[in-house]
Amino acid sequence: MISYIAKRLLSGLVTVWFIATATFLGMHAVPGDPLLNDKAVTPEVRASLEAAYGLDKPLPQQYVIYLSNMLQGDFGISFTQKNRRVNDIIRDHFPVSAMLGLLALTIAALGGITWGAITALYRDRLPDVLIMLLVVFAVSVPSFVFAALGQLVVLKFNQLIGHSVIPVAGWGTFKHMLMPSLVLGLGTMAYLTRLMRSSMLEVADTDYIRTARAKGLSAPRIFFKHQLRNAILPVITVLGPAIAAITTGGFVVELVFAIPGLGRYFVQAVQQLDYTVIMGTTVFYGAFLVFMVIAVDIIYGFVDPRIRVDKVGA
Amino acid sequence: MNDTYDPVSGDFEPLLTVTDGEQIDRPSLSYWQDVWLRLKSNTRALASLYMVLALVTFTLAGPLIWSVDPSKQDLEQISQGPGLGQKAILVPDRLPVPSINSLTQSMAEDRADGSGQRLDLLGEAHTEGLTLSWLAVANADSYTIYRHELEPSSIDDLGLPLAQVGPGQLSYHDSLSLEATTYYYSVMPIVAGQPQGYASQRVEVVQAIALSEARYRGLVPEGDDASLLGSTIRLEAHPLGTDSLGRDMLARLMWGARTSLFIGIIAPLFFVGFGLVYGGFAGYVGGKTDNALMRFADFVIALPFLLFMILFKIAFGIGPGESGIGPMLVALVLLSWPATARLVRGQVLQIREEAYVAAARMMGGGANYLVMRHMLPNVMGVLLVSLTFAIPSAIFTEAFLSFIGMGVVPPTPSWGSMCNDGIRTMLSHPHELIFPALFISATVLAFNLLGDGLRDAMDSRLRSDS
Amino acid sequence: MSDTPVLKVENLNVEFATFGGAVRAVRGVSYEVYEGKTLAVVGESGCGKSVTVQTIMGLIPCPPGKVTAGSAKLCGRELLTLSKEELNKIRGAEIGMIFQDPMTSLNPTMKIGDQIAETLVVHRGMSRREGLTEARRLLDRTRIPEAAERARQYPFEFSGGMLQRVMIAMSLACKPKLLIADEPTTALDVTIQAQVLELMREIQREDGMSIILITHDLAVVARMADDVAVMYAGEVVESGPVDEIFYRGSHPYTLGLQQAMPDARHDAGRQLDAIPGSPPDLFAPPSGCGYHPRCPHAMQVCTKASPASFEISPGHQASCWLNHADAPRPETAASPVGSAQE
Repeated sequence: MISYIAKRLLSGLVTVWFIATATFLGMHAVPGDPLLNDKAVTPEVRASLEAAYGLDKPLPQQYVIYLSNMLQGDFGISFTQKNRRVNDIIRDHFPVSAMLGLLALTIAALGGITWGAITALYRDRLPDVLIMLLVVFAVSVPSFVFAALGQLVVLKFNQLIGHSVIPVAGWGTFKHMLMPSLVLGLGTMAYLTRLMRSSMLEVADTDYIRTARAKGLSAPRIFFKHQLRNAILPVITVLGPAIAAITTGGFVVELVFAIPGLGRYFVQAVQQLDYTVIMGTTVFYGAFLVFMVIAVDIIYGFVDPRIRVDKVGA
Repeated sequence: MNDTYDPVSGDFEPLLTVTDGEQIDRPSLSYWQDVWLRLKSNTRALASLYMVLALVTFTLAGPLIWSVDPSKQDLEQISQGPGLGQKAILVPDRLPVPSINSLTQSMAEDRADGSGQRLDLLGEAHTEGLTLSWLAVANADSYTIYRHELEPSSIDDLGLPLAQVGPGQLSYHDSLSLEATTYYYSVMPIVAGQPQGYASQRVEVVQAIALSEARYRGLVPEGDDASLLGSTIRLEAHPLGTDSLGRDMLARLMWGARTSLFIGIIAPLFFVGFGLVYGGFAGYVGGKTDNALMRFADFVIALPFLLFMILFKIAFGIGPGESGIGPMLVALVLLSWPATARLVRGQVLQIREEAYVAAARMMGGGANYLVMRHMLPNVMGVLLVSLTFAIPSAIFTEAFLSFIGMGVVPPTPSWGSMCNDGIRTMLSHPHELIFPALFISATVLAFNLLGDGLRDAMDSRLRSDS
Repeated sequence: MSDTPVLKVENLNVEFATFGGAVRAVRGVSYEVYEGKTLAVVGESGCGKSVTVQTIMGLIPCPPGKVTAGSAKLCGRELLTLSKEELNKIRGAEIGMIFQDPMTSLNPTMKIGDQIAETLVVHRGMSRREGLTEARRLLDRTRIPEAAERARQYPFEFSGGMLQRVMIAMSLACKPKLLIADEPTTALDVTIQAQVLELMREIQREDGMSIILITHDLAVVARMADDVAVMYAGEVVESGPVDEIFYRGSHPYTLGLQQAMPDARHDAGRQLDAIPGSPPDLFAPPSGCGYHPRCPHAMQVCTKASPASFEISPGHQASCWLNHADAPRPETAASPVGSAQE
């Protein structure tokens, strides 16, 4: 298992290097170097940039400087906020995004598993048809529409109650997180519900469920101890991509709900062409997602005995 | 079980023609015939197929039928809800200014009964302008005029004034972007620097259009101006309303569909095609080449998709606020092919080991023959399914990028950018968000259901084969 | 031989609703299993032999499955009308069942010991600890080496043969009166097959349980069975004691099966005679006898009416018009071996 983890981590590092290189090349492929072309750059900033990135040096040398900076965890200075380091921006804003994302993921996973299990239990009957209708709806509506609708719902709800129970936007308390995380998790929840349903139905058709019935086990016992446990496994494998979806979905939700997360910051940086922030956050997000996928795989390895024991043996 | 049957003589003669046990009972169907039959029997998939066709028709033929310029602004009908064109009164280009002093005088006499009304409307109120007048307050330094859409309940509700006029002026002509709705005007006299209460008046503003403007737009015939004035005409119809800049939603949705569907269909075609070639090659060649190729594909898959979509746009030198359909296409293709490549490679690796391929090889089938006769037809199924699922996700991507301002931007309409515009006026004019969102959802839904149906149709065939 | 059968199936009819209409998978099947004896049910794939036992066990999903007629009595107690709870008390406790593919018949994410213990916990009210102890004993009894160690492992760590032993251990946990083995050796290597069959026989000798053995392998039948029921197209076409079936087979289908089987002692070098054609479409079974389109001895009557069950000798029945008193007596009917080698 340890050698497996080490192998995965190593390949993850290589992937992060690939992402960093692609980012570097992408930014330098711009016709005329954006770092030099930007009119907004004041002479002082340019000087510090040149010092930091060695912009006067040839490309390969710049690349080396860029990589070594990054290895030391230094992403440089923001273009638009002259004295803020990209590291600080990430440190200040990422926890907000992470908290929102974690809550959204929890909602999505628990909801998806529960709804999926219910649909499978009531296969082709009213609850199944109803939930799957909602699911089809949920996967077909863009996230920003949900965000807008969510905000509208909060607004109307507050109007109905007469005073502001749940904040419409902003950040700070748990109440602030409720609607954004629900909106953020909705698409993923729908996807997981679908997956869980088909996984449940697949397991229901397996020989070992037939065996369990032939053993005279009660229906609830078969459902929980045999069917559910096995059906959840495929759902775990897609949590990696689910995290990626929630991370990028966060951009929109943070934008609409005015949440000071890294996603909103990234979108702003993009709109203001804040190159250092764009590069830094891209590499950071890339690395984050790569290691999240690895983490999910490792967790899956612990949950599924077929993989766990295999890896211990190997 | 059939104990009652009593055989008669002749029953025990042997059957002369022994039925051929090997005969095939049911007609043979080709793979695609079978898929089509199954798809046809799936109501949802069939409905979604029709919906896709309807959307394509809407996109291609729509602008020919509804030939309204999607970027033309109709300033009389801004953020107009769906429906027919509004009625409007024709008014002269230069509004006659009522003779204020005399009118105020007469008003003061009218109200000598002490009804307390101190603010009134002079003449008609329409969107081209309206005139208010009020009674003088003794020692007033000035008057501030306010305009609200809701009735102010106290002096604190007034907020920022519309205008402030001197003590000698007892009327105000308002023509500041009036809409055909109900306004509450208030006037507040300032005495010695202090507000002295206020008076409110509810005013219903009706839609009006200046004669020259109506003539310019071809809404009224040439001819006698005097007889036309004051008559009611109908403004241009906007079946789905207009956006916050007064542009026709239906036309924009049609033109936006061109953008969205173009990206949504062309990009998947390209990347699925590239994935097919890449994955097919890797799978067919196998060995080290396959390993290296797929390793690279793994790297590309690991790139955070939307981040790199954005990065690509910047790399192409296209900043925010600049439209870049081409670069968006290229970026989509560059980033999306590995999923298809993986899928195709897996299929090819599997098919390569099948006995029928070995048989074809043994009988001297060349590489071309194997690929065209065995590999391609067998990969086609999964490829088609992944294509139908790639289309909605590409449409989503376009919408997402346009929404955060990194995709298609004004004036080019796209469903995503229309949503972006619409979300700002969501509370007051929800139709500006609802229609483009509805189109995105319907399209995505149609393709998703079609994909589901196709997969089911092919799956059951595959299952019954095994 | 005891007089009251452990299991008595009578005139069982099962249908499946499909897109193309109702499939009549089981059409009036009757057979009996006696205490301590083994009944082998033989037939081609799709002839309804598995559906019959799965119906008895309540394992057929309804819908699309539906029992349209018949009864199945375990020691005189009707099984088909039991409530789910009552049926659950019988399944696993009084009837054990093992399946064709042991590799997929065990829960992949549950330890072997727990899967065996589960039956005991549910039916015998044991604690998990007691159940595990008993599970180890059962594994030991089914000759699984290092039973204590093995009980802590997962199914994928076992070979197919070992897993079938686990399945046997599991189905025997509550000492059932009847063991239903649905093609227990089909998925196994030939050498392993013999071991598993031997194990089943040994346990039968010790515990005195009855076995329904479903198979299409006549060698397995010869080795294991006391009685045989031959099924074709959802019907039992011939049944009787094993020797009767092998030496006085009276249905052309039984003979066809025998001819399709290699026999190293008698006819090395003989070409095996396959039965021409394939089993009928059960959407619309042929009129009369289901076998007549493939039968070399088909007569006019065979297309008109299903043959009645003719008693060949006590306990030996065959449903074939050739056994009718008026039927011509070709050399075939009662001398199967002769016809088999002509």
